[in-house]
Amino acid sequence: MMRNLPALIIIFPLVSALLSVFLSKISLYLGRNLVITSIFISLALSIVQLREVIINGPISYKFGNYAVPYGIEFKIDTINAIMLVMICIIGLLTGLFSTNFEENSKDRIKIGGSHALIALLCVGMLGMTSTGDVFNLYVFLEVTSLSGYVLIALGGSKGVVSAFRYLLIGTVAATFYLLGVAMLYSVTGTLNMQDMHDILSSRANDDTMLIAMCMFIAAFGIKMALFPFHGWQPSAYTHAQTGARPLIAGVMGKIPAYAMFRYLYCVYGTEFKYFRYFLIVIGALSVMGMIYGSVRAMAQTDIRKMLAYSSVAQISYITLGFAIGTPIAIAGSFLHMFGHAFMKGGLFFASGSIRYKYGIVDMNDFGYIYKKMPLTSALLSISALSMIGIPPTVGFFSKWYLALGAAGEREYIYIAILVISSLLNAIYFFKMIEKIFMAKDRDLKPIGRDSVMELPWTMMIPIVISILMILGLGLFNVKIINILLMSLGGIGI
Amino acid sequence: MTSLETFLAAKGIYFLTFLLLFLGLYGMITCGNYMKKLICMNIMQVAVIFIFLCLAQKDGGTIPVLFSNLRNAEDYINPLPHALMLTAIVVSMGTTGVGLALLTRIKEKYGSIEEDEIIERENK
Amino acid sequence: MRKVLAIITLVIILLIPTFLFDGIMPSIGDPNSAPNTHVSDYYIENSVEMTNSPNMVTGILADFRGFDTMFETTVMFLAGLGAVLILSNRPNIKKRFIIPRNYIKQRPNIGAPRYKTINKDVMITLFEPLMMIYAAYVYFHGEISLGGGFQAGAVLGLAYIIDVMIVPGRRKKLFALDKGNALSIGGIGTFIYALTGILTMTGGGLCLEYDKLPFGLSHAESHSAGILMIELGVTICVMATIITILNAIMGRVRFDDDPIKRREDA
Repeated sequence: MMRNLPALIIIFPLVSALLSVFLSKISLYLGRNLVITSIFISLALSIVQLREVIINGPISYKFGNYAVPYGIEFKIDTINAIMLVMICIIGLLTGLFSTNFEENSKDRIKIGGSHALIALLCVGMLGMTSTGDVFNLYVFLEVTSLSGYVLIALGGSKGVVSAFRYLLIGTVAATFYLLGVAMLYSVTGTLNMQDMHDILSSRANDDTMLIAMCMFIAAFGIKMALFPFHGWQPSAYTHAQTGARPLIAGVMGKIPAYAMFRYLYCVYGTEFKYFRYFLIVIGALSVMGMIYGSVRAMAQTDIRKMLAYSSVAQISYITLGFAIGTPIAIAGSFLHMFGHAFMKGGLFFASGSIRYKYGIVDMNDFGYIYKKMPLTSALLSISALSMIGIPPTVGFFSKWYLALGAAGEREYIYIAILVISSLLNAIYFFKMIEKIFMAKDRDLKPIGRDSVMELPWTMMIPIVISILMILGLGLFNVKIINILLMSLGGIGI
Repeated sequence: MTSLETFLAAKGIYFLTFLLLFLGLYGMITCGNYMKKLICMNIMQVAVIFIFLCLAQKDGGTIPVLFSNLRNAEDYINPLPHALMLTAIVVSMGTTGVGLALLTRIKEKYGSIEEDEIIERENK
Repeated sequence: MRKVLAIITLVIILLIPTFLFDGIMPSIGDPNSAPNTHVSDYYIENSVEMTNSPNMVTGILADFRGFDTMFETTVMFLAGLGAVLILSNRPNIKKRFIIPRNYIKQRPNIGAPRYKTINKDVMITLFEPLMMIYAAYVYFHGEISLGGGFQAGAVLGLAYIIDVMIVPGRRKKLFALDKGNALSIGGIGTFIYALTGILTMTGGGLCLEYDKLPFGLSHAESHSAGILMIELGVTICVMATIITILNAIMGRVRFDDDPIKRREDA
């Protein structure tokens, strides 16, 4: 059991997703409940695995027990062990949250199927995070993308069009990725990341590596919606299925960022001849993305669109940390990754709850909502404060570590941009907070039936846990940074 | 052989496959019809599959199925890219299937699969 | 904007040959190039022994890299599930931009194609059994070894498609699957694959380590049994996915190009 932890974390949600439709035919909610239970089991196993990795060091899991470059290997260090926990938590919360958006439907395939998609999205992301094989990463990338396309398409007619656009551009990204893999394979003859790193550093193949890296940056840039490649993202996040939106917006963009980190630091390594130039390119893209995303977000009144543009800016913080390249900055960008998953997830949980109760998405109608939905408004304000970077929340600490890393490398322009971007964040998030607390009462009438509680318990749990995680990650930031630095030392930065 | 002939014999196939790849990319950028975009997407995927299969080629090698009289590694072509591309083909098939289902929905709602008409009707 | 991008693309196309002169990719057919030496030699020399499959591609696909194939099968299931879910919603007829023509109500077998030129007797009695036998042959004897689950599944799916083409409409017979049932079967097919991984783990091995299958078989037998089991899952999943997508689209198609006065169906 303990030996097979990395495989079991993926197998459980996979099996539940495969059987979900079949079980829904037997009993209406059986498949859905199985999916939620299995993601919960995965969460428990991933926490056990995190503990194991912290105590005993990185795990290498070989499928089929074949020696390393010949079979497929899973490589778990402390960074991706924490990421697995993060994916499982958001996946579980999203699974609970999305049960509320299909109550009226009695279509068995739809209920079982949409939860199967959430589980498969989790499976794809879990696999992408833990794999140590470049082609296996492609397969998981496609599982993630396909379930993402379908979940976006389930959001209605506009969702279908944005899903189709995302499908076209996402497939171009996957093709570029495969082309990059082909180029690296042509000079190394292996597919294992560690083996590839060893061979690449022993031979001089700088031209091929240069072109392949351009392909990887384009591919992962498209998938994570980095600045010039972000065209698909705002409409896709806006029109995705309401129940699944926290998972899509909160986590889906971060996994390609982690994959890019793996390529930059684990496969290529700092001894690569053009490494410095790539860091400059990524830094420049991040700086532009931070300004552009914030400026576009200021102009939106639809809360979903505002949050989507804000994601373009926030993903740039993560890549900025990679571009600075010191361990403390990279740890800061991973802290931002975890924090932002809960902030953005939380904001989408809150906006989804408001939509569930009152059917509104325009911020101008949010007047006096803090009296009607106190907990949801608390989550909205805490996430917004964290986005801006106010001290007890995680947003402040991640930006602090990024700035610390930038100061160590004497990249003062990055610090300036960090401050400017935070101020821009403050402008549009304070606008939202003002709408919640100050704007005129709109006399909103709840749609659906009235209940004593603010929201059903399946929606309260995600909201409460998001609040706790944003504050908790902030309070225990030193601990998490120390865990992250354990592995960053091993990579050799 | 002249140098051009040597080049074509050794690397000419890559030129053709890259041409196919960028032809697909060019089509995806310039076509206004979603169906054509989907076809161009498929062309791109096929081009990458060809590139992988080119890497598997070996002079004097036969298909990677065991023959009792051939025991050396030089006698067989490289089986790994073939196995990988079987996976890639199935994945591209799945993507195309979902894309076609999405197109059906788009056609029903907007009555067209031309990009500019859809954008025009979306903003109404 | 579009024209600018097009010109950039053309420039890139013209630049490629210059990249190739620098030796970016290895010469084709070079036996000493990197992809043909490092991992490849190990596979050619050892895979037949280690996997008991004379076809090395099958050995790699189903054994060395069996975990890839598990998710490849999942992608097939996902494609079927996606097609069903996307096509299960219908846009409101009043919000459409082009209102479809009025169709003849009560037309049975709506959307079902009808091919009168196909000889029903020959196809059903002769061709379909042959196709199924051929599918079984491909499954058990792919290219002189076990495997070929994808092809076998595709052939089985095609047999179903031919059946639907000849005898359209709703049938309550053995081989009539609606999209929900077909989707469930696809899920179960992929589950058989995952189950193989789980069985090896319960036998005390790592995931997909066929030597540890708890059936008490020898090394060669257990590898064959493992490959046979996962290929069974793949066959079922591919067959069911093809049927699922067919059903999802057939429940949907209202041939806009049909002449309205097609009364013989009514």
